[in-house]
Amino acid sequence: MTAVAEYVDARDRLAFTLPPEHEAHEPPEARGVPRDGVAMLVSRAAAGEISHHAFTDLPSLLLPGDLLVVNTSATLPAAVRAGSGLAVHFSTPLPDGDWLVELRAARDGTTAPYGGGTPGQQLGLPGGAALTLGARFTGRLWRARLSTAVVPYLLRHGSPIRYSYVQRPWPVESYQTVFGTRPGSAEMPSASRPFTPEIVARLVARGVTFAPITLHTGVSSLEGDEDPYPEPFDVPPATARLVNLTRRSGGRVIAVGTTVVRALETAARADAAGPRLVSPAAGWTEHIVTPENPLLAVDGLVTGLHEPRSSHLRMLAAFAGLDLLGRCYAAAIDRGYLWHEFGDLHLLLP
Amino acid sequence: MVLGPSDQAGPAARPMFRRGALPSVRNMNETKNAVITGASRGLGLALARGLAAEGWSLVIDARDAGPLHAAAASLSGSARVIPLPGDITDPAHRAALRDAADRLGGPDLLINNAGTLGASPLPAIADYPIAELREAFEVNVLAPLALTQLLLPALRRRGGAVLSVTSDAAVEPYAGWGGYGAAKAALEQASHVLAAEENVVRVWWVDPGDIRTRMHQEAFPGEDISDRPLPETVVPGFLRLVTERMPDGRYRAAELMPSGVAS
Repeated sequence: MTAVAEYVDARDRLAFTLPPEHEAHEPPEARGVPRDGVAMLVSRAAAGEISHHAFTDLPSLLLPGDLLVVNTSATLPAAVRAGSGLAVHFSTPLPDGDWLVELRAARDGTTAPYGGGTPGQQLGLPGGAALTLGARFTGRLWRARLSTAVVPYLLRHGSPIRYSYVQRPWPVESYQTVFGTRPGSAEMPSASRPFTPEIVARLVARGVTFAPITLHTGVSSLEGDEDPYPEPFDVPPATARLVNLTRRSGGRVIAVGTTVVRALETAARADAAGPRLVSPAAGWTEHIVTPENPLLAVDGLVTGLHEPRSSHLRMLAAFAGLDLLGRCYAAAIDRGYLWHEFGDLHLLLP
Repeated sequence: MVLGPSDQAGPAARPMFRRGALPSVRNMNETKNAVITGASRGLGLALARGLAAEGWSLVIDARDAGPLHAAAASLSGSARVIPLPGDITDPAHRAALRDAADRLGGPDLLINNAGTLGASPLPAIADYPIAELREAFEVNVLAPLALTQLLLPALRRRGGAVLSVTSDAAVEPYAGWGGYGAAKAALEQASHVLAAEENVVRVWWVDPGDIRTRMHQEAFPGEDISDRPLPETVVPGFLRLVTERMPDGRYRAAELMPSGVAS
């Protein structure tokens, strides 16, 4: 089989149909469930086992000496209504001050994909701002320049990005996590949403350690079958040291979210310090984790449930293998787990 | 239900788009480049010495060429040092600082250290000569802000940082310190807002504490200030802030001092 055929085959094995009743339409709090009251499927790669838990079981599922690495990126209200039935989703800052943006068609109170737009086109935005489109960057994203500083503009005029499966708007607070301190993500780093101060305190008391990275995640083009693009990230020196110390000491490095995996695996490749050593690193990462591109720094992952065929599923396959991952998703559908940013969790252990 | 081939249509072929040059990932252990203003003496020179000893390459500035070149010659280490005499309120000089940093490969750190006390002896705000106050704001606020603006594109590309030297006079109502304090307060607020607006570049503003410098002597003319610590004593705190890439914010150098010896 050629490399291309293998790739297509791997993608097809990550295809399934997501029944609509498995979509989380609102924050758990709106369903009468506390933030940390979501369900968590646990898979163990070495044993090939699956078990079902409440998220609040996490402290007993981890061991003293394990390290949880969390993303400190906070969610921006990254969606802005433009005139003429369009909306703009601000995805990712680029180093020259341009942003990657997605144009969306405003429809029934939410938005739908929009294929239009031309280079050089100007869009008038609320508050007298103007957005100028540059070149197309991927099939979905444009390079664009806003006439004013983007982050303060969004804090004043934006609202959280919302797709059609979330049926009404929620305030940006619903999209923040307990670790989010640096505004910059277009969409919530949602794996850490169920973490509450109480759970963090119980994990600390258990002897589990925490360390921060920052990765500002863009619009969910890693969901669906779409082109990836670079995201700004930062692995600070203290975190790099803790990751390396944990692994040297026999503990496990558990990423809270796929963003953390991307950042740490990038930092593990930032120099020739040797396999399984993480360097302090920063910049824009285009690294994609797949089963063919082995994990160097991360042993386990807390994440949500991902869409069919997404490149996130290929990252998960790097942790669990395709067969166990397939059984996990079959079990999740069987047992009524909920998908998307307000849904349930999956803990992938080695 | 198991994972398997989907009955949904596969992905359509997509056109390829030119992405343009994007920055690569930077290993933050690599040798780096800093621009330090006001580096011919005092805290600026001490910071230059500290960074040069850690292998940083430097662009340093001061108004007087003689002391600046002497400072450059005194810097130890194998790193490159480019001394550029000039006044930071001069746009052409600021552009020269940027060009020199680009010749080193691009700036990773800007230290806005150059400043002026303003009128000396320190007048009350009620009597502060406005022309001298305007000059204090030019040197302490507008010039560092303009230099920051000039270096920001490269700092963004390199995941860099802006460190501005401030003072407790920016937050405490010390009698006589109104002009200098108001300017430093403006610099602090500009830094704070910059931190809110930039989500890649680190922004720090640091109070070094009372140290034995010429500016401090000018604030207390005729007084013996030999009880104040030398600027070299606070450098390890600054270095720790930079090498650990601490979060954005206001720091006091004393609280950044390393507490133990690395194993």
